[in-house]
Amino acid sequence: MPTKPTPPQSAINKDRPVNTLLKMQMEHLHVAEKRLPLRHHTDIYVNAIKTEGEAAEYIRRVTEAIHAAHAEAAAKRARKGVISIAAEADEGAERKRGKKKGKDKGKS
Amino acid sequence: MATGLDQLKHIVVLMMENRSFDHMLGSLTAVNPQIDGITAGLSNPDTTGAMVPPQPLAEFQGQLDPDPDHHFPAVDLQIFGGDTSPGRQANMQGFVKSYFNQQRDVGHSQKIMYYFAQNQLPVLTTLALEFAVFNRWFASIPGPTICNRAFAHYGTSFGQVGMNVFYVMEPYKSIYDRMIAAGHTAKIYYYDTTSSTMEVVNLLQNEPKLFGTYQQFLSDCASGSLPEYSFVEPNYSDHDGDDGEEVASDQHPDHNVQAGEAFIASVYNAVKQSPLWPNTALLVVYDEHGGIYDHVPPPNCSPNAPDGFTASANDTGLGVPFAFDRLGVRVPAILISPWVPSGTVVSGRVFEHASIPATVTKFFLGSYAQRTAREAAADTFVDLISLDVMRQDCPDFG
Repeated sequence: MPTKPTPPQSAINKDRPVNTLLKMQMEHLHVAEKRLPLRHHTDIYVNAIKTEGEAAEYIRRVTEAIHAAHAEAAAKRARKGVISIAAEADEGAERKRGKKKGKDKGKS
Repeated sequence: MATGLDQLKHIVVLMMENRSFDHMLGSLTAVNPQIDGITAGLSNPDTTGAMVPPQPLAEFQGQLDPDPDHHFPAVDLQIFGGDTSPGRQANMQGFVKSYFNQQRDVGHSQKIMYYFAQNQLPVLTTLALEFAVFNRWFASIPGPTICNRAFAHYGTSFGQVGMNVFYVMEPYKSIYDRMIAAGHTAKIYYYDTTSSTMEVVNLLQNEPKLFGTYQQFLSDCASGSLPEYSFVEPNYSDHDGDDGEEVASDQHPDHNVQAGEAFIASVYNAVKQSPLWPNTALLVVYDEHGGIYDHVPPPNCSPNAPDGFTASANDTGLGVPFAFDRLGVRVPAILISPWVPSGTVVSGRVFEHASIPATVTKFFLGSYAQRTAREAAADTFVDLISLDVMRQDCPDFG
C-alpha cells in the first residue's frame, strides 16, 4: 500500500509573502466586499496585506460576510413572505367579518 | 454501453494548481513508454546558449521561488522560444529564458527544467499508472489561473486571458447553474472559508449556496450524499484553522508539493471509501503549468469551433489580440474509477478544461445549446469508464 506523504512542519509559513494568486483572490473578494451592506464590510486595508497569514484572515472575513449577507437577505425574504401571508390572512378574516356583519345587519 | 458507464451517477473534479505534465508525471515514461513524458534529447537553451536537459531534481518546496511567471506574455515566450514572427511554430524552447527574466540568474533559471522522480510523488504517479492518464490534456489558455479555471466552470473565460475580475455573459451559464436549472445537483467544495474559492465574483458573490467546505465533502462522501457533480478546490494558503495550522495543499509554487500529494490521497480515499465508489468518477487535473517546462507544443483550436471571444492587444500584453485559437501548456490529468482499466493511457485525443463542462453537460443533461461552439466541440471523457466488471484491485493510500 503506497503511503500518503506527510509534509514537514517547516512547510507551513504564514509569513510567506502573498503570491499573485492570493493577491488576485483578495482583489476579487474586495470587489465583492464593496457590494455588501456596510455592516458586513471589514475594516481591513487590502493594500497593507503582505503575508499569507494576513491574506487568509481577510479572505475568511469576506467569505463569511458574503455568506452572512445572503443568509440575512434570505431570512428577510422569508420574514416578508410570512408577513405578507399573515397580512393576507388578516385581510381575508377582516373581509369575512365584514360580510358577516353586513348579513347580521340585514337580519336585524 | 459498458456496465461501468451504466453505474456512473457522480462526477468529482479536483483541480490543483500550477504544475506541468512533464514536471509531475514525466518520469513515468521510464515505467510505461506509452506515457508521453521525459525522454532523452529534450532540452531548452539557457541565456548563455547552453542546452539544459530536464533532470529529476525537483524539490517539494523552496526551489521554484520566485513563482515562475505564467502570465500570457511569459507563456508566449515559453511556448515559442521568443519567436514573434507571423509564421512561428510552437517549439517549447523558452522556459529557461522566461525564468531567467525573473532573477537574471543562469543557474537558478535552469531549475524550471527539473521534474519529480516517480518515488517522490507516490500518490499522483500511482493513480496515473493504476487508472487513466491523459497524454494530451492542455490548459485552455496559455495564461494564468483565473481564466483557466473559468473554462472549467463555464466552458469559456469570456475573453479574459489574465487574472482580472470577469463577469458571466449571457447566454452562457456555469455548469452548476445548468445542472440545478435542470433539476440536478452540483456543488463546489472549497477547502474552508479561510482558503475560500477562486470563483469569487460570479458564483461565491451571487450564489454562495453552491459552496460547501472540504469537511462537508468528506461527510457527503461518507454518507453517500454527494451531489451529481462536485468540484473540489485545494487549500490555497497556509493559515490557522479550527484544528490548528493548515498547510496549503494546492501545490502552487512555492507551496509544499507533498501537502498536495496528501490532499489528493485524501480526496481519493474519501471517494473510494464512500458507498458511492462504484458510481463515481474522479478527475484529478491541474489548472495550468505554472511556467514549468513541458515538451509538448500546445495545439491550435479548431477554427470550426470558436470560443467566440477575443482578448484585446492590450489585455494580452503582446501588442496583438488573441482569438482563443490555441491551447495552453499540457497539464497532468487522471481519470479514476473502478471501471477504468488499470494502465490506461489516453493518446490521440485532445482534452482541455472545456472538456469538463462538456462532459458533465453531455452526461447529465444531454443536448444543451447555450454554450460556446468550443465547449460543444470539446472531447468528453466518460467513455473511458469502459469495464464490464468492477475492479477490486484499486490502490489504497495508508
